[in-house]
Amino acid sequence: MVANNTPQRDFTYSLTYNSSIIKELLGGSADFIERKVTFLEKKDVHAACFYIDGLVNTQIIEKIVQSLMFEGNEVIIRNDLDTRDIERLLEEHVLMNTNFIETTELESAIKSILSGDTVLLVEGCNKAFQVPTKGWAQRGVSEPQAEQVVRGPRDGFTESIRVNTALVRRRIRDTGFRLEELNAGKRTKTDINIAYINGIVKKGLVDEVKERLNRIDIDGILESGYIEELIRDAPLSPFTTIMSTERPDKVASSLLEGRVAIFVDNTPFVLVVPTYFWEFLQASDDYYLGFMAGSFFRIVRYTAFILSLTLTSIYVMLVSFHQEMIPTPLALTIASGREVVPFPVLLEALLMELTFELMREAGLRMPKPVGSAVSIVGSLVIGQAAVQAGIVSPFMVIIVATTGISSFVIPNYSASYSIRLIRFPLLIASGTLGLLGFASMFALIAIHALSIRSFGESYLAPATPFQPQDQKDTIFRMPWWAMKKRPQLADNDTSKIGESQLPQPPKGDEHGESTHTKAEETSERKEPESNAEQQSETKEDSGGTGIKQLKRRKSPKGKGDEK
Amino acid sequence: MKVQITNGMFMALIINMLYAKSIGLTQGIMAREVGGDIWISTIFSSIQGIVIMAIVIFAIKRLPNGDMIDQYGQILGKWIGKGVAALVFLFFLGAYGTIMATFVYHLKDYFLPEAHTILFIVAAFLIGSYAIHFGIEVIARMALIGVFSVMALNILLLAGSISEFDIKELQPTFDSGFFSTLWASRHHDADWAMATMMACMILPLVRDSATWIRSSTSGLIFSGVIIVMWPILEVGVLSPEVAAQYIVSCMQMARSAEIGLFLHRYEMIMIAFFALSILTQIMMTFLCSSIAVQKIIGLKDYRPVIIPVGLVLSAFSYWMIGSHHRAMGIIEKEWVLVSLSIAIGLPGMLFVLGAIFKKKLKKKEEAKTV
Amino acid sequence: MMKKIILFHALLSVVLLLGACSGKREISDLALVMAVGLDKGEKEGTVKVTAQVARPADARGQTGAPSGQSGEPVWTVETEGSSIFEAIRQMSSMSSRRVFWAHNFIIVINEEVAKEGIGDVIDFFTRNPELRMRTWVTVTPEKANEVISTVTSLEVIPGEALAKLFRYTTISNQAPRTVIMDLLSAYLSESTEPLLARVAFETSKIDNKAPDKGAQTKQVVLAGAGIFKGDKLVGTLKPEELRGLVLFREKLDSGVAVVSCPDDPNTPLSVELTNQSFNVKPKYKDGDISYDASFKAHIRVVEAGCSLDLSNKKHVKKLEDNVEKELTSQIKTTVDKIQKDYGADVLELGKVFQNEYPYEWKHYANSWDEVFPTVKINLKVSAKVESGSLLYKPTTSGKKEKKEE
Repeated sequence: MVANNTPQRDFTYSLTYNSSIIKELLGGSADFIERKVTFLEKKDVHAACFYIDGLVNTQIIEKIVQSLMFEGNEVIIRNDLDTRDIERLLEEHVLMNTNFIETTELESAIKSILSGDTVLLVEGCNKAFQVPTKGWAQRGVSEPQAEQVVRGPRDGFTESIRVNTALVRRRIRDTGFRLEELNAGKRTKTDINIAYINGIVKKGLVDEVKERLNRIDIDGILESGYIEELIRDAPLSPFTTIMSTERPDKVASSLLEGRVAIFVDNTPFVLVVPTYFWEFLQASDDYYLGFMAGSFFRIVRYTAFILSLTLTSIYVMLVSFHQEMIPTPLALTIASGREVVPFPVLLEALLMELTFELMREAGLRMPKPVGSAVSIVGSLVIGQAAVQAGIVSPFMVIIVATTGISSFVIPNYSASYSIRLIRFPLLIASGTLGLLGFASMFALIAIHALSIRSFGESYLAPATPFQPQDQKDTIFRMPWWAMKKRPQLADNDTSKIGESQLPQPPKGDEHGESTHTKAEETSERKEPESNAEQQSETKEDSGGTGIKQLKRRKSPKGKGDEK
Repeated sequence: MKVQITNGMFMALIINMLYAKSIGLTQGIMAREVGGDIWISTIFSSIQGIVIMAIVIFAIKRLPNGDMIDQYGQILGKWIGKGVAALVFLFFLGAYGTIMATFVYHLKDYFLPEAHTILFIVAAFLIGSYAIHFGIEVIARMALIGVFSVMALNILLLAGSISEFDIKELQPTFDSGFFSTLWASRHHDADWAMATMMACMILPLVRDSATWIRSSTSGLIFSGVIIVMWPILEVGVLSPEVAAQYIVSCMQMARSAEIGLFLHRYEMIMIAFFALSILTQIMMTFLCSSIAVQKIIGLKDYRPVIIPVGLVLSAFSYWMIGSHHRAMGIIEKEWVLVSLSIAIGLPGMLFVLGAIFKKKLKKKEEAKTV
Repeated sequence: MMKKIILFHALLSVVLLLGACSGKREISDLALVMAVGLDKGEKEGTVKVTAQVARPADARGQTGAPSGQSGEPVWTVETEGSSIFEAIRQMSSMSSRRVFWAHNFIIVINEEVAKEGIGDVIDFFTRNPELRMRTWVTVTPEKANEVISTVTSLEVIPGEALAKLFRYTTISNQAPRTVIMDLLSAYLSESTEPLLARVAFETSKIDNKAPDKGAQTKQVVLAGAGIFKGDKLVGTLKPEELRGLVLFREKLDSGVAVVSCPDDPNTPLSVELTNQSFNVKPKYKDGDISYDASFKAHIRVVEAGCSLDLSNKKHVKKLEDNVEKELTSQIKTTVDKIQKDYGADVLELGKVFQNEYPYEWKHYANSWDEVFPTVKINLKVSAKVESGSLLYKPTTSGKKEKKEE
């Protein structure tokens, strides 16, 4: 819809009329440029190009103008073409650009000018040519800031939607990979692409996503977070039910599990639905490092999750209500630390948590040169000096620091926020009612989490409801050769992996065929002497059900031939 | 859309319904009667439970889409059905009282002696109504978490008490005589009566009626095994006389457990796990009583009656647990009578009546599906 | 409708807030009692309770901001009352913090108090939810308030030191390990009588500043056991007499016996008993109750004042016989003392009989304390030499051999 609700207008054959209606809508801006060209000197046909400076790559426009002014004319004169059908002339003989769209609607032309295309109007032709000339300044593909891995690809999404979809498209070279286009935001008309793999994704999921996106009626979409809030399942819940990520490998692996990805223009954060809660505790590293290392780090992360949620509450509860549960030497140490502190434990805990949040927020907003100073000063001040001054007890500092560090272990930033939010009611409940408060609040949170669904999937699956076949990727990460099936949230094509993928010494073969080498997702061909199996492996996080598809194309020398 | 729960969830619900009260109050009550043979009574009781559960399942299977009250209504008419619903409500009212007694005595006496009882009642009410608002699926999933916490609790206790275990205390077996041991098992019967009555109400919601008998039997056996560990430990570690002294013997044992020299008194960890399981039991009882009242009034859904039902349940339990002696008196005497007569009588009668009126049921079933 | 429901629940949650943090007490507002002593009061019929409270800042050293360190790790206070509970209430009127019993390590009861009956002690300490069931309980012939205030061994807090004395009793075997739980179960039992460990004073500590004066200061030591009948103390056992007793009740890790050398009766030889196993079986014949007790142990030579050659089979047999004789006599003395002098079944023999012959037990249940002194206990001890610790050859002076050459 055009911004000021003009009725549908079409172009006519008159250049002056066409130009005037365009200029009427866009004319006032300083960056709106009109380039007049004369085409077909003999017949004195005029043409005009409209574009917005800054959004365009002027070299392509120069090409347009060049083709109109010089080469087009030459072609026509040389081949003596019929000059009456201007449209066909331009289409087939003159315009040298790679692709363009013709339209008779004013709205479409306006939209394309505002998106960085150039609109070409020619006298005697009632169609406008929208030539893509996008060329604005943008950030190059760099490492994602918020999600870093030690091992794994380091390209992250940028703000341009086509670059982002290309990064994923490169990883999944399957015909089932589809991209559907949508638009949202009345005044921003932000491009949204929905990506899925046809044949894996569950029926109805894509339609559901499209329906929810089409329901959005807001004036501007600036970031995928807007969309997230408008289409999520449990809008009032502290738990995030939609995952957002900056990593193309994560998106690609989710697609291979049967999920749907939502790309939004102007933001590097791509949304993936549906989500399980346990996904937020998984990082890409788990899948690229060996399965033992991956499982170990994952267990560390689960422990960190539990710690960050409950440690402060348990400490407050023990010290305020149930001192008999503390082992005696520890009780004496805690008591000696608290001798001079004037606050009750609950207040002390809240104070420290608040200070920690202040420090964290300050560290984030500080301009870079000052940032490091704040972190050092902050930790020194809070840690040592406060204890020496007798405002907090040393134990509390340790507890809060551990809790804070544990919350940073959670890979997904928005998930760590939600956990931090949940911590506060738990803390207050256990500080006021002791064990009763802790148990009740914990039960309430658990019930709440159990009742959430994310686009049809239970939020806490595969723990409850228990899906035994999906357990291979929840707490431990089973090795690739053991994960045979896709997660249950995918539909067809459930078998991911071929037979007997466990690496084994050859059974009497001289070639090293039975060694199954697993390449990384940007798969190179591995050592030529082994069976080069090409793995289009793009697993990043599989929420809860780690079943990945390993496509294996056996080389002619491979074991397959022996069989 | 009909809500369905899986067999695994059903098993988990059975385990949770049985566990909380059986390990604590019941063992103390039985120890006062038969001393060291409470573990044998528990085993007897579990066997009886399996039998009654089988009767329930066969009775309900005849009309797989309706629960016990519906079936009574089909066979004997609408008003008898409402009467049965009232009896069911009475049962769950008493059950709620005993569960609240367990909950409050566990938490209040040992952890928060100065807190007022009303706090516990209100907290249980709030959590219960929040949970059953979402329906049985959420409660069933909580039950799964409850099962894990129950197992963790058992392991923790074993770790802390096994060093003090003295098998001499368990002997001689059948000291009190075979019949009195069997008679004492009626206390534990009252516990699984809650599970079978719950099954009466929610069996139609469990998918795949062919596996009802298998999943419920395995649920009962599994819970029997993990429950019987407690009387064995209580007698072996505490000695039967001490177990008989206390109201909540399981807490007494938990208090005596210690791991190594560092961790004495870690019963709070155990209680945190225990609280999850007993909260599931509270939710389930609340749900079943709401459904019973719904059937009495004849509503389509039980959600509107949650608040009044909750208030009645809370008021009753508050009255009952006000005095320790009143609560224990009711649990030991009146509750056993009421619960066993309802829990054995109703399904038993249904089984018989269903056999007699099979044709009537079949006709109604066909009329429904047509 | 939905709004009303939510409103109702919100109001109900306000009720929770009315609870107003009941039961909350800060850990720095608590006086953690480490040890309790019970004595007879000055006046007739009163009991004197002494409680030892830890001062965290001094007990643990300074962590954090400087707090009131006065160099005293404990604060000990004693009060009197007609009952234990009353005395404790009195204590709270002179304590600036709430007296907190959950970390209590040990209860020390004066023997005079014990002679008059400790039923109220047992009841008080088991009825209360604050107290731990594994608190050590002991009797003492000394004044209880002195015992718990004496700084013993290496610990800062005397109560903690006393409790730790019990940690290694399985090795030293000077006192049984008795906790409240055992006391309660024995008291409630049909046949078994309670038994409590016993502590006493011994002047054994040498002052670092005046070593020439020798041992000056009193230290608390484990000193045997006290035997009860019902809830009254009827007798005590010395530490040497404990071997026979403890075998019946607990498992020993190791024990020591001193015998005379096989070839030189005047020189002592010490052996350590390892791998001990003890079994007692009841026998019932024609109204006569008897027990067969068998004790097996392995011997390890730990100190040989003579030349003991372990490859000499005769020597070894003689050694084993000596050990067996010594052990038998020790155990017999103890058992006789318990049976004949005190007549209290602290050996759990009644329970053993009940387990084997439950039907016959019913005849004896009511009269067990009369029957017990008459039962016969047949003891069989067997000891086997296991090793000579690290040494293979006997330790003899090399010079002797040279002379003989």
